[in-house]
Amino acid sequence: MSQWMTLFQKEILEMWRNFKWIWVPITFILLGVSEPITSYYLPEIIKSFGGLPEGAVIDIPPPTAGAVLASGLSQYSTLGVLIIVLGTMGVIAGERKSGVAAMILVKPVSYLSYVTSKWAGSLLLVWFSLFSGYLSTWYYTGQLFEWVAFGEFLHSFVLYGLWLTVILTLTVFFSSALLSPGMAGFISLALALVVSIISGALSHLLEWSPSQLTSYASALLVTGELPEDTLLAILISILLIIVLLWLSVFLFKKKELAS
Amino acid sequence: MSLIRIKGLKKSFQGHEVIKGLDFKLEKGKCIALLGPNGAGKTTTLRMLSGLMKPTEGSITFSDAKKDGDIRHLIGYLPQFPVFYDWMSGLEFLQYVGKLAGLTSKEAKKRSLELLELVGISDAKNRRVGKYSGGMKQRLGIAQAIIHRPQLVMLDEPVSALDPFGRREVLELLDGLKKETTILFSTHILNDAEEVCDEILFLHNGEIVESGSMEALRERHQQSKIDFIFRKKTEEMASTLKNHLLTQSILVDGNRISIFVTNVELARKEFLKLIYEKDWQLDRFEVSSMTLEDVFMKVVGK
Repeated sequence: MSQWMTLFQKEILEMWRNFKWIWVPITFILLGVSEPITSYYLPEIIKSFGGLPEGAVIDIPPPTAGAVLASGLSQYSTLGVLIIVLGTMGVIAGERKSGVAAMILVKPVSYLSYVTSKWAGSLLLVWFSLFSGYLSTWYYTGQLFEWVAFGEFLHSFVLYGLWLTVILTLTVFFSSALLSPGMAGFISLALALVVSIISGALSHLLEWSPSQLTSYASALLVTGELPEDTLLAILISILLIIVLLWLSVFLFKKKELAS
Repeated sequence: MSLIRIKGLKKSFQGHEVIKGLDFKLEKGKCIALLGPNGAGKTTTLRMLSGLMKPTEGSITFSDAKKDGDIRHLIGYLPQFPVFYDWMSGLEFLQYVGKLAGLTSKEAKKRSLELLELVGISDAKNRRVGKYSGGMKQRLGIAQAIIHRPQLVMLDEPVSALDPFGRREVLELLDGLKKETTILFSTHILNDAEEVCDEILFLHNGEIVESGSMEALRERHQQSKIDFIFRKKTEEMASTLKNHLLTQSILVDGNRISIFVTNVELARKEFLKLIYEKDWQLDRFEVSSMTLEDVFMKVVGK
């Protein structure tokens, strides 16, 4: 356990030294704040662009606070996912490519600890960034529209965080299975995209798909109720995370560290 | 008592056999040099011994290995080009590695400071490793290899990248280290091996072509070498000398002809007589005993 903590502390310190603790949360906050603000000022923006015939009346009904929060969350599905994948893809592949993994693992270091400590470090960063970003969405939505119940905010946060954790774990998996960080990032992104598209198109068949967590989180915010398949999707996601982590360790152990 | 026993060790890369069956034992407390020209398979051998690479065939048995076969607590390893976390300071890296190897934070700090002093980079202990020079990285690499006091320290070309001063210091360091642990280091510089090592493993084309203690090696090759340097070498000289009864082996290098003989006194007389009779123009004539380099050249067959 103390060895795991040593490895974990190193991850945290490394992310501090390369400023990940600053720029990732800030990006998430910027993404999160932009949604309520643009929604609020949308009528003004359209007016100032002009070009509308005289006398035309545009009446945009102000969105509900829940809908603003939901579209705020969806910001993270694209740019947020990209940041997570780009920030995580080298976590193992990069160290192995540079050769520092061999320096570390020739010491009596458990492979399980090595992989899981890296995963846990990135996990902490993702949840912290998502929380700060989403909290600011919630705050601005409350200021500009109406306050959404904090419980609903927390529930949707956890659902969304779980989906991002699946993506993170997928990236860690490819990072340990492949030697090239770029390849790991590309495959993870492509896979996340394909899964989202397929589950979106066949949502009636794939209610259990982890990527559905995003729509369940939105549904909660808009309707105030959780769809009944949520629990199944949560369980499948957790199972997938465990299996991917286990496979990462397994594949990593089998690989030669020097080639 | 043997620390490690290697049997029939082979390694192939894409069907190309790089290591062709090694058998040897390493005794506790010895300093062994793994010698060989570039491409002989030294690095591959060390990587297999340290567990970074899996042998294609054969076995490596450590007498004190854990039940599950883990040997990493027993060994310290320095790759030819050590890599560190550039954002850590030298001290931080040593502490980190020490803690990973099972030292408490307090022990790790104490030992790290000690080692930084020992390898001579304590002035730079708080500087980021990314700013270290090649020589400093090599020293830090040696420090991280021995931080957990392993039974066997394996160093891949520890001095090749250093300037003459650095080389001198690191060799002295190894000489001191010999008292505490078993050292196996690879090099292609024969002098380095001769200076610090008790034993030698000669590797050539993936095979051990010669091995044993320095003394045994010298004894086995207890031949004298006679060097002739002629003003002008002809084919006739080479073939006459080569076929001479007293000649055991011969090396021709430009105008220099080196002949290995067992009976020096007789050879000196006979050869000088021959040269006088043939009226060959001799510039230089020297009798010496074989150096490690000569043994090396001879076993490698150049």
